Amino acid sequence: MTDAAALTLRGIRKSYPGVVAVDDVDLELAAGEIHALVGENGAGKSTLSAIAFGEVRPDEGSVQAAGTVGLVHQHFELVGRLRVWENVLLGREPRRGWRIDEDAARARVRELAERNGLAIDPDAIVETLPIGVQQRVELLRELDREPAVLLLDEPTAALAPAEIAAFFATVQGLAARGTAIMIVTHKLQEVIAYATRVSVMRHGRIVARMETASTSIDAIARAMVGGDLPSVATRSASAPAPCLSIRDLRAGSGETRIESLSLDVQAGEILGIAGVEGNGQTTLADAIARMIPYEGTIAYADGRARTGIIPQDRHREALVMPWSIVDNAILGRQQRAEIRHGFTLDRARARTDAQRIKDRFDVRAASLDVPVRTLSGGNQQKIVVGRALIDDPAFVLAYNPTRGIDVGAAALVQSRLMEARNGGAAVLLISFELDEILTLADRIAVMYRGAIVGTFERANVDRGAIGRLMAGLTE
Amino acid sequence: MKLQRTLTGPAGAVLLLVLLMSLAMIVAGTSPIDGFTALFVGALGGTSQLGETLVATTALLFPALGIALAFRGGLFNIGAEGQLLIGALFAGAVGAQMHLPGVIGMALLLLLGAIGGGLWGAIAGWMKARFNANEIISTLMLNFVAAAISLALVSGPLKGPLATGAETAWLDQTYWLPTLLPGSRLSIGLLVALAFALVLQWLFSRTVFGYELRASGEAPEAARRAGIDIRRITWLSLALSGAIAGVGGATIVAGELHRFNTQLSPGYGFTAIAVALVGDLQPLWICLAAFGFGILEAGGLAMQASAQVPKDAIHVIEGLIILVLAARRYVTTRIEPAAE
Repeated sequence: MTDAAALTLRGIRKSYPGVVAVDDVDLELAAGEIHALVGENGAGKSTLSAIAFGEVRPDEGSVQAAGTVGLVHQHFELVGRLRVWENVLLGREPRRGWRIDEDAARARVRELAERNGLAIDPDAIVETLPIGVQQRVELLRELDREPAVLLLDEPTAALAPAEIAAFFATVQGLAARGTAIMIVTHKLQEVIAYATRVSVMRHGRIVARMETASTSIDAIARAMVGGDLPSVATRSASAPAPCLSIRDLRAGSGETRIESLSLDVQAGEILGIAGVEGNGQTTLADAIARMIPYEGTIAYADGRARTGIIPQDRHREALVMPWSIVDNAILGRQQRAEIRHGFTLDRARARTDAQRIKDRFDVRAASLDVPVRTLSGGNQQKIVVGRALIDDPAFVLAYNPTRGIDVGAAALVQSRLMEARNGGAAVLLISFELDEILTLADRIAVMYRGAIVGTFERANVDRGAIGRLMAGLTE
Repeated sequence: MKLQRTLTGPAGAVLLLVLLMSLAMIVAGTSPIDGFTALFVGALGGTSQLGETLVATTALLFPALGIALAFRGGLFNIGAEGQLLIGALFAGAVGAQMHLPGVIGMALLLLLGAIGGGLWGAIAGWMKARFNANEIISTLMLNFVAAAISLALVSGPLKGPLATGAETAWLDQTYWLPTLLPGSRLSIGLLVALAFALVLQWLFSRTVFGYELRASGEAPEAARRAGIDIRRITWLSLALSGAIAGVGGATIVAGELHRFNTQLSPGYGFTAIAVALVGDLQPLWICLAAFGFGILEAGGLAMQASAQVPKDAIHVIEGLIILVLAARRYVTTRIEPAAE
């Protein structure tokens, strides 16, 4: 299967002010191979793939490709209001005189889709399509340029288990026809299942190269963190008592509408909401956070409980990026009696709290006064979680609390959530990572199209059944 | 990279400014040395010159501080000119009629300025909070409304009995703000402006309101999720912004002109936008920036007289400063490395 090199990177080095992102990396991709690039956040994977794509110029080293290089972004770069064919052929539309030859364009997209086994309607408006189909559009756009090398950045982050299998069937078909594929991912099961080789990055260097046939998830993960895996705090016995009760909730509109949803979260338990992105989880979280209007009841057992909320988008919803750790440590708490004295803020208290968060969550920062923008995603998230837990809340809403952060930071965040539960907090965990829910949750509720379609006790979890419910299949 | 940093920093901006001004002088047929000499002598060369510079500084400082408050809250208040004018109108209209002890009268004049300007800002704030009307458009348009209303009022019902133009009657001398620099027109309005700068600095850095205001400006969605009432912040910050500009209008009436006149501002409210931006929206730096612009405003006239550089060149330069700043912001965002 491995013959001529499709992509050769030699001695690649790239530094940004204060950090060497990629440090003397050699990487070779053979035509027809599926190569996985893994590593913790900040290990340099994104920079390396941006260099391979030609988007970022390396300080040193050379990039040679046997043909064009395509890149499918993690966050799709599509024009939502345009049709599928318009997106696929954007900038390369077939012309008839000064007009676009629409018939030729449609035929070209249809033919391209059939050749690659991707079912799609060329005339559909992109923003009306499900995430999995939108990704096909993104993929088709790259395939139209007949790339010798295709880079895929976290391609399955938003897909349901069934969509993931279909996606990799397409990718394997491409590889069989000679395209070199590089997948940047942190899902190690997929690496083992679908990739032929894997390169592990740590601190800007490639620290391990392995054949997937002769390695294991455990070995790859250890190479990523450079040692043994951090473990999550253990679950202790707790006495459940009612905390949050949601009855007959109706909220939101369109695809993510919630129609008559009821659930209870007990003190001393973690209730995990499993589901594919876009099935109403955001509507549920926003209703609980009282950010959107809703009908029905969302009530706490003791009237108004202290709540700690971890929103899903830390950059936009949880942090003021140019501000210091100190200023961010009191965001959302600025009206609490211990922070607010008359008109003024207790700055000393803010600093103490920031220090407590930094100590308890091992936030790696030069000082408490650096802008949080300069911190890594993992350290930013530690601040968000630390702030949500600092006032010992009775109820915690955690929405994708470890999304996009490295293994070490994720284990720490999960441990602190488990400790909050052990200490008697009711925790509602909404996550798109089924593994995270299986690790943490005492009970699991599966959400599909705005409704709870099944619940499981931890003792009798059936991973297959949960996967089927997530995909909307009924037994 | 290092050179790039220097050129895009404040020193680079000043250097670029000097080059542009030199160019403007050469175009006007004067050597830059003569031009700059005339400018600085005219602005700082004596008591009355320094006084005029500080009068302009004061007139720019109030609206600039108001603009900074709104900008920090993420609201582009382009209406400081109108807010200043309405503040001045309130002070001038009531001041010409009132009979009170001097100090109380002076305080009342400034308060009237705050009420007038605050009201004018609050209109745009209410429109934004209630109908999500774009504040850039509404504040800008309200400038024209303010100019038209004040012209109509002082041409008719509020016109002073002996006035020849569109002016109110004189204020009673007991309400004239005391002179700060003997031998010049500079009043204690400057001290009031500096006090406002200090209060604003405290407001931004120490108070809950300032914290919520800055959060709304920097990260509106995070602010909303932090329980901050964005609508309240919106109308309140535009009202306060207008109030500060309005006090500025009142100090011009009580401090220098001693009556309201529709021509009392040669565009202070617009130049103040540049002052606020040059001062990086930080109250104490804005004081310095206002002094710099005060030099340009006051020195420009002298430059015109002695070096034959038209005063309009100064306005060209002020426009260029805004362009340089906008470009600087663009360049610095572009060279910032991608996060993660």
